[in-house]
Amino acid sequence: MISWSDRVAESVAALRDNRLRTALSVLGIAIGIAAVMIVSTISRGGNHLVFSELETFGLNSVWAYRDWANDSPLERQRSGSGIDSSDVEAISEQRDALGIRDISPIVRTNRNTPARRGSRFANIQLIGANVDYLDIVNDRVIAGRPLMRHDEQQRLAVALVAPDVIEKLFDRNEDPIGKVINIGERRITVIGLLAAKSRDFLSSIGSAGGENANDRMIVPWTFLQRVRGDTEVDHLHIAVNDFDSAALVADDVVGLLGRRHAGNFNYSSETMASYIATTDTILGGVAIVGTIAASISLLVGGMGIMNMMGTAVLERTREIGLRMAVGARQQDILWQFLIEAALISLVGGVIGLLAGAGISVVVVWLTGFPLLPSMLSIVGALCVSVAVGLLSGLLPARRAAQLKPVEALRTD
Amino acid sequence: MIALNGIAKTYPGAVPVPVLHELDLGIDAGEFVAIMGPSGSGKSTLLNIIACLDTFDRGMYELDGQVISSLNADALAAVRATSIGFVFQGFNLISRSSAWRNVALPMLYTGANAKQRYGRAQELLARVGLEDRADHLPSRLSGGQQQRVAIARALVNDPSVLVADEPTGSLDTRTGHEIMTLFDELHASGRTIVMVTHENDIAARASRIVTLRDGRIIDDNRNTATQGFDS
Ligand SMILES: Nc1ncnc2c1ncn2[C@@H]1O[C@H](COP(=O)(O)OP(=O)(O)O)[C@@H](O)[C@H]1O
Ligand SMILES: [Mg+2]
Repeated sequence: MISWSDRVAESVAALRDNRLRTALSVLGIAIGIAAVMIVSTISRGGNHLVFSELETFGLNSVWAYRDWANDSPLERQRSGSGIDSSDVEAISEQRDALGIRDISPIVRTNRNTPARRGSRFANIQLIGANVDYLDIVNDRVIAGRPLMRHDEQQRLAVALVAPDVIEKLFDRNEDPIGKVINIGERRITVIGLLAAKSRDFLSSIGSAGGENANDRMIVPWTFLQRVRGDTEVDHLHIAVNDFDSAALVADDVVGLLGRRHAGNFNYSSETMASYIATTDTILGGVAIVGTIAASISLLVGGMGIMNMMGTAVLERTREIGLRMAVGARQQDILWQFLIEAALISLVGGVIGLLAGAGISVVVVWLTGFPLLPSMLSIVGALCVSVAVGLLSGLLPARRAAQLKPVEALRTD
Repeated sequence: MIALNGIAKTYPGAVPVPVLHELDLGIDAGEFVAIMGPSGSGKSTLLNIIACLDTFDRGMYELDGQVISSLNADALAAVRATSIGFVFQGFNLISRSSAWRNVALPMLYTGANAKQRYGRAQELLARVGLEDRADHLPSRLSGGQQQRVAIARALVNDPSVLVADEPTGSLDTRTGHEIMTLFDELHASGRTIVMVTHENDIAARASRIVTLRDGRIIDDNRNTATQGFDS
């Protein structure tokens, strides 16, 4: 029986004999594999980017707020946010029953509130929240300390400050901790620095309300209430225990608020889960379109191999007859052509992989997507290319193997 | 050694073409048989059947005690690899392979390793006088040299029968006779040879001449004039 190394050597010799045609078939497969690689890089990188930005809002987030849209003329005359400190307390007490992990009341100033330090200015947004807020929105304190209970209880004028604000108000070598920032006539002391948060991509497609997350100052919500002189809360920001039950929790909170205010206000909610579902649909659609396009180019590459092997079988019919006449079995002929096809696609696969990786690096560099190389996709691409080669080679190879020796020898 | 009994073959088609009619032929070990006859008389068909390259409709064929008609495709391939050496009119060398690789080709399919193949190919190339052409591509060899390579290939697995279909048909007269000298030597060393030819002077080198016409044997002569070793 012919050994496998001899089989491969015979196939390599045949491929070398027809360099141009071999090179073209290799190229076809390489393009297909490179396309698959690039689509997978873009799709994985894009997914990761979008989700890391969604994470800056807290993936388990639920927002509950007064909804003016369905107000009757009478209800519309009632002013205020419809949520106050006692609601926060009441919901906090029932958090386990409601499936709530954390809840923070939110009291906000307008965006572009002017902040001043000496002669320097910055437009900022003050966000009044409680000690649990950082956990809800995945904020990190990189210097100083987070908000603490007594900040809340004492309604202290202290703030966690995001990087853009620091950059505008402080010198590079200055330590902002313990320094004072003026907002109106209020003097607010910096107690901690927030890590930078990117929402660039979502902002660039018009989501996230064009929000820059790095111009925030987080202060105790009770401090902003003191400044405003009321007990109102703009909205509630909740993190649920279980991502999948976010909609239920949201409904329960909305119902509870309605009952507590005896139907004087209408309430509504939003969940991150529903945004994520929409995002999944969009990204999934993009991935499918990309995958189809890449698959088509791989298919074309496979058809290139099929065509080349078909031609090779026709051209080498006499050789096939001769090999049979000197003792080759049908399976020996089959394997010779299958190995030729597999070698083409393996080499094409490796070249495509390298080209795809190179182009991926460029794409990542241009788009700012994260580069997420995956061993699975590399091994997968090679397996796919060899499978494409074997499948494309199978038909011509079988045709060759099933030739009758006399008939094969008779052709010229 | 070769026993054909009632072999019949018809090419199917709109007009079926009968090629062989209930043909009987026995060939002993060591014989050098020339098959003659006009063009279209069925010589090649008969030779292909003997070489296990073609099938037949009726009859029985025994080679070396094996009933060929009962063998499956793989077993037939094994018979072709070990018991038959075929020499074609058109040489049928693989143009991308060197002389020695062409000679060694049948050994690939019997699983010989590269060292065995190279050694044996050198041996056979020396036997046909081409020991210094081992690495030449066929395109750099003359017709006569190419046919010598093909004969070396046919002998490489030491087959029971050397089968040749007009081995001198593509060669000029002088080169053809050189090839026949080689055949004479092989015959002299005991090799069984079955050769198709339509040239009388080529056939005259054989120890026995079988003449076909319209798929029937019309003449079967042992040629005592040659240096026959079988009679
Ligand atoms: N594949 C085929 N299909 C149909 N007829 C064939 C085929 N091969 C040979 N023949 C016919 O069979 C007859 C014998 O052919 P062949 O054995 O090649 O004769 P020879 O070798 O004596 O010239 C011829 O009439 C030829 O036309
Ligand atoms: Mg003929």
